[in-house]
Amino acid sequence: MSEREEEFGFAPEDDAPIPYLQRIRDYYQALGYGAPYRWAHYAEVPFAPLRTPLARSRIGLVTTAAPYQRDKGDQGPGAPYNAAAKFYTVYSGASAAEHDLRIAHVGYDRAHTTADDGNTWFPLPALRRLAAAGRIGEVAPRFHGAPTNRSHRATLERDCPELLARVREDKADAVILVAV
Amino acid sequence: MSLAARHLEANGIPTVIMGCAKDIVEYCGVPRFLFSDFPLGNPAGRPNDPESQAATLELALRVLEGAPGPRTTVQSPLRWSADPAWKLDFSNIARLAPEEIARRRAEFDRQKEIARTIRTAPRATR
Repeated sequence: MSEREEEFGFAPEDDAPIPYLQRIRDYYQALGYGAPYRWAHYAEVPFAPLRTPLARSRIGLVTTAAPYQRDKGDQGPGAPYNAAAKFYTVYSGASAAEHDLRIAHVGYDRAHTTADDGNTWFPLPALRRLAAAGRIGEVAPRFHGAPTNRSHRATLERDCPELLARVREDKADAVILVAV
Repeated sequence: MSLAARHLEANGIPTVIMGCAKDIVEYCGVPRFLFSDFPLGNPAGRPNDPESQAATLELALRVLEGAPGPRTTVQSPLRWSADPAWKLDFSNIARLAPEEIARRRAEFDRQKEIARTIRTAPRATR
């Protein structure tokens, strides 16, 4: 422990959110890929105030997790990265039903998490409990799956409008997006 | 996911993102963000810990209700571990031997090819 940590109660230097932009840029450059990935970046950010109290609101849920597909190889828990399990179009599921969603198709932290509890990336059961308790008005009839597409064009021109259309059909007042 | 939140919001639908990659989400610029300083893969609380999952979702709702404007980030007070050493591992090139870097490159190329095959496959097979 350094002097400042001991004397002033400072946290260790590395105990800060992981600098993913730099970490991932360095990683792929060291692997030999030339031009660094250009992350989405905007100076202006839209904002829509919440107009209805949550207790009277219909809340939608969007996830990047993927439905388990028996014929698509190991999808965990603990599976290595599995591109075969990826999806490239928006999908939807009934919020009242149970779903087995997995995250083997994305680059989560395989060293430090086991991916053995879907509730850590898909809080639909928890959201239903909040509806039952009256914390929110109700859960929207469907949840939606957003593709984790490396093409910004596909995301912006195809997936985002599709998600908006489905959320509008559901008449959701607000949406929780859970990013794995 | 950040792009989807922005698109919904620009069309009048309030959103909150739950996630673990603080700099990536904030660099994009989103309306409301509940950040958990956890390994990627745990945006909705600690695994097998319903109490932490309930607390995380409740905090996301409070961000949805209370954000005064765009780019509101709230960091969950929950800690993944008392020891922050896990933060040094993810995609950290300084910690990888040359053979491991070569192995990862080969595996990345292989997975990219699989993804390309699915992406370009006829829609009916998806």
